[in-house]
Amino acid sequence: MRKYRAENSPQAWLYLLPSLIIIGVFNLLPLIKTFIMSMQTGKTLNTMTYGGFKNFQIILSDPKFHMAIINTAIYALVVVPLGLVISMAIAITIFDKIRYKAIFESIFFVPYLTSVIAIGIVFRYLFNGDFGFINYVLSWFGVAPINFLNDPDMSITTLIIFGVWSGLAFNIIILLSGLRNIDDNYYKVADMFGATKREQFTRITLPQMIPIITFLMMVNFINAFKVYSQVFSLFNGKPGIADSATTGVFYIFDKFYVDYKYGQGMAAAVVLFLLILLFTFIQNFVLKRISK
Amino acid sequence: MEKIGSFISKLFVVIMAIITLFPFVYMILASLMTFQEATSIPPTLIPSELQFNNYAEALKQAPFGRYFLNTVLVATLSTCGTLITCILSAFALVKLQFKGKGILLIGMAALLMVPYEVTVFTNYQTIAQLGWLNSYQALIVPSLASIFYTFYLKNYLTSIPISYYKAAKVDGCGDLEFIIRILIPLAKPALFTMSILSFISGWNSFLWPILVTNDTKMRLLSNGLSSFATESGTNVQLQMAASALSIVPILIIYLVFRKQIIRGVVRSGVKG
Repeated sequence: MRKYRAENSPQAWLYLLPSLIIIGVFNLLPLIKTFIMSMQTGKTLNTMTYGGFKNFQIILSDPKFHMAIINTAIYALVVVPLGLVISMAIAITIFDKIRYKAIFESIFFVPYLTSVIAIGIVFRYLFNGDFGFINYVLSWFGVAPINFLNDPDMSITTLIIFGVWSGLAFNIIILLSGLRNIDDNYYKVADMFGATKREQFTRITLPQMIPIITFLMMVNFINAFKVYSQVFSLFNGKPGIADSATTGVFYIFDKFYVDYKYGQGMAAAVVLFLLILLFTFIQNFVLKRISK
Repeated sequence: MEKIGSFISKLFVVIMAIITLFPFVYMILASLMTFQEATSIPPTLIPSELQFNNYAEALKQAPFGRYFLNTVLVATLSTCGTLITCILSAFALVKLQFKGKGILLIGMAALLMVPYEVTVFTNYQTIAQLGWLNSYQALIVPSLASIFYTFYLKNYLTSIPISYYKAAKVDGCGDLEFIIRILIPLAKPALFTMSILSFISGWNSFLWPILVTNDTKMRLLSNGLSSFATESGTNVQLQMAASALSIVPILIIYLVFRKQIIRGVVRSGVKG
């Protein structure tokens, strides 16, 4: 079948022009520049010269960069599964058992909209080792005060707690919408044949939800790889005590904006970008295999 | 057995709801405490006397009024710009046929995959070369268009039958007239959701303003807040007051437009 075309309308480009100018200058151009700059060296932004792969050699052998990538990976590998399991438990309970669904849905969604910076400052207060509320609550259960913010070994754990807290909102809302879209008749039939709740969950709910869980995993992983503002606000503009919570984007920011090593910063950005792409493809591939 | 399980899962949800809301509640409570109350051991929950002058004090120590106006201005103008450019480009992509459309769509979808954090630093260079550092242009112009919202609107417009456009054409209606008189009224719900979401993300933006502004006068709430948190040292009650100033307006918007916001996020799967 030939596609029907009323007419060719070149004036379309006129309507697209405003968008394309902005997108060209602020989305496409910087991407190209990032790749170019990752191969350049120089002391100021305007006097950069070609330096080959030197920047990549420098950052790939920089222990601080290794730590940034390891921290980012730990953060992603803990926050994403943990966040998804907790959100799933909450979403299913709200969907199945709770009467005031709308109220709970609205409550859980709040952290999605509020500024990470502002709420990070609140969390810094709650996490305070001396007068923080969290240690106070933990003391009810006989837990000794934990030094959440000033102990290099705790930094990532603290960041993970904050990350899970702020990530739940989006997951719960999307999971709830997925649960609502499952055809009710499946459950009616299952009930008729005497399937238990657990069987219904593993045989109906979970398989039906796989596309949504896949989507959330992808979005969550990409976001976890880019974690930055959370660190900034929780540790007051620093990547944790003794740089113990440096993440990928924080490393780039420091190289670019604090050390003025523009080339090295952009080389790190390219590495991070490729890691995200690679990870997305692997995840896509594995999940496709599983769902077959 | 099932009853116990059901009770436990309900209890879990209630506890999680409390954990979700508690930081906001405690922020407001602590913003009304004295310094002694805010840093007492064990922590105080309810202030004995409401210290509203904490807000006045925070406003005095840093120009939060200015930050507030800057943020409103930047978020509003970026949202208006995004609406206009997105309406025009979504119209062209949905209702018009032209050469290169397929390639353009693929290119835009590919750009959508590029993390913001990868391009934000070289955007800084562009702004510096334009001599726009510490200016409103720097804060507004880069966010005057959005591939994401163009696609969002495009998906919505696809549901408007093409025959509307053809009928209008036959009646001698120009493209712009069609956009203003037919397309915008029909797309109102989508445009409304877009504006709220774009306004909120403009309000909360952080990495970009911290890069392109260091002049106190040009700061937005988020980077003004983070530098205040560093400068104010241990004055936790003032930090809580300042945080409340940037969070409460969004909470009010949320209370009013709860349904539209949640529906919009679910439909588009926005993040950040």
